[in-house]
Amino acid sequence: MNDWKYHPSPSIDASMSETLRNFPREPTMLAYSVRSMAALILRGWMRIYHRMTVDGRENLPMSGSYILVCNHTSHLDTMSLLCSVPLRQIHRTFPAAAADYFFSSLPRSAFSAVLINALPFDREIRGAESLTVCSELLKNAGNVLIIFPEGTRTTTGDMARFRSGIGRLVVGTDLPVVPCHLSGGTKAWPKGKAFPRPRKLRLRVGEPQTFEHLEKNSNSVHKICSDLEESVAKLGGACE
Amino acid sequence: MSIDAALNSSIFLTYLAIVVGLLAIAGILLTIMGLLGKNVSSAWSSYRGWLVMVPIVMGTIFLGRTATIIGITLLALFGFREFARATGLYADWLMTGTVYVGIALLGLVVHLIDPRLKGPGWYGMFMALPVYVIGAVLLVPILRNRSKGQLQQVALAIVGFVYFGWMFSHLGYLANSPHAYGYLLYLIFAVEVNDVAAFTCGKLFGRHKLRENVSPNKTLEGSLGAVAISMLIPWLLSFSFPQFDPLHLILAGLIVGVGGQLGDLVISYIKRDIGIKDMGSVIRGHGGILDRVDSMIFVAPIFFHMVRWFHGLI
Repeated sequence: MNDWKYHPSPSIDASMSETLRNFPREPTMLAYSVRSMAALILRGWMRIYHRMTVDGRENLPMSGSYILVCNHTSHLDTMSLLCSVPLRQIHRTFPAAAADYFFSSLPRSAFSAVLINALPFDREIRGAESLTVCSELLKNAGNVLIIFPEGTRTTTGDMARFRSGIGRLVVGTDLPVVPCHLSGGTKAWPKGKAFPRPRKLRLRVGEPQTFEHLEKNSNSVHKICSDLEESVAKLGGACE
Repeated sequence: MSIDAALNSSIFLTYLAIVVGLLAIAGILLTIMGLLGKNVSSAWSSYRGWLVMVPIVMGTIFLGRTATIIGITLLALFGFREFARATGLYADWLMTGTVYVGIALLGLVVHLIDPRLKGPGWYGMFMALPVYVIGAVLLVPILRNRSKGQLQQVALAIVGFVYFGWMFSHLGYLANSPHAYGYLLYLIFAVEVNDVAAFTCGKLFGRHKLRENVSPNKTLEGSLGAVAISMLIPWLLSFSFPQFDPLHLILAGLIVGVGGQLGDLVISYIKRDIGIKDMGSVIRGHGGILDRVDSMIFVAPIFFHMVRWFHGLI
């Protein structure tokens, strides 16, 4: 008789906070069921409390991995993008979230990892490393990455310059990037306020773009960033 | 069991005083030893673990029957989760899901009122449920039309359900007894004392290995010392069960003294076979849930059937 082969979970000795912070995340039944429940509740909340509408949902690619980029005015941006992808893709949708904020304590990590399925993105020291994690993730078909290229929430209502990370991630690849614009976020949940207000949100999804034709150099990276910035701004302009 | 009953139960209040007193004494001793320059950092970390666990356990029992049964069912669920993660069964969601549902159902029938006898706890279904859950586990490979590796998955799921779910859930069933405070608090307290006694006696007198291929650090002397101390405990705590004869006190001590160490050894060979050190890392300074409750799994059902045989449960 052959010996049985056991395959213990790789994170068996890891503490709770390490397990939550590790990425790629191990799929567990508990996290999946909690996340599915949370996603359903969130969808109801966004539709009723914020009367959220999504235009151009048909622009989301049906297969393969893709990236969603969006302007960033409040935490509601992440929520509304999570609500715009099909429910069955919720466990494969990863909003890139600042590790220094969203994974800074155990309750926050639990919230980010379990409910939001956030990808811990180091925006201060190991940015390049975090980008590698992102591109590894996108190599597997069917994953969705949510990125806010402005890097932080803006308060004025105007968009900030897009940072170069998104450009470096997609230059010379066939990864579709879907520009999105959310309007109403600043009024619905001003930065610094504890609770969102019942203001209307409108999400506009643009057409996917690819940057396969560009060579890998800094000029192309800048061009991608400004192209995407323009597309997002244009979507926003169409909203007003 | 209820909040009122706990406040009026001299048994509950006495145990509360005992554990608070012991924690205070242990804290003072550790502080003194630390001041004397001894290295007590690992003892502190396990002490901090106790400071978290004791209020949770006492608080749950204080809240009453429902809270106790829910708490013990949750422990069984998370204990099984650790077992599943350690053995690799966790990757098989349908199989682990079936066992999770089975353990949750156990908690439910422990809490239900018996439809015929009208007392709390549906004993007949509690004893019959393993038949249905094991049946359901055996059905999973058929539903999936898969045979490769399925014997291992089914066997692990059944061990997980019967041992970590069903045998451990007997502890929750004791909450239905009119003597619930005495039974539960005695078991929890005595099992922990037994663990500590085995460790201390082993350190002090340990010469001969008990089972070197299962758990190399356990010694015959430690084990015998723990049995001896556990045999004393029911006499010292005899206020917990005024209805017990001397024979029952002897059995209560023997069950904890022997059963506690058997439960420990079972987890030890499971861990050794898999090749891991701890079943998890939930409780800092103690390892996983199963590393903490392992001794109880063997003790709970045997003690349960002993008291049920001699005194009935309702």
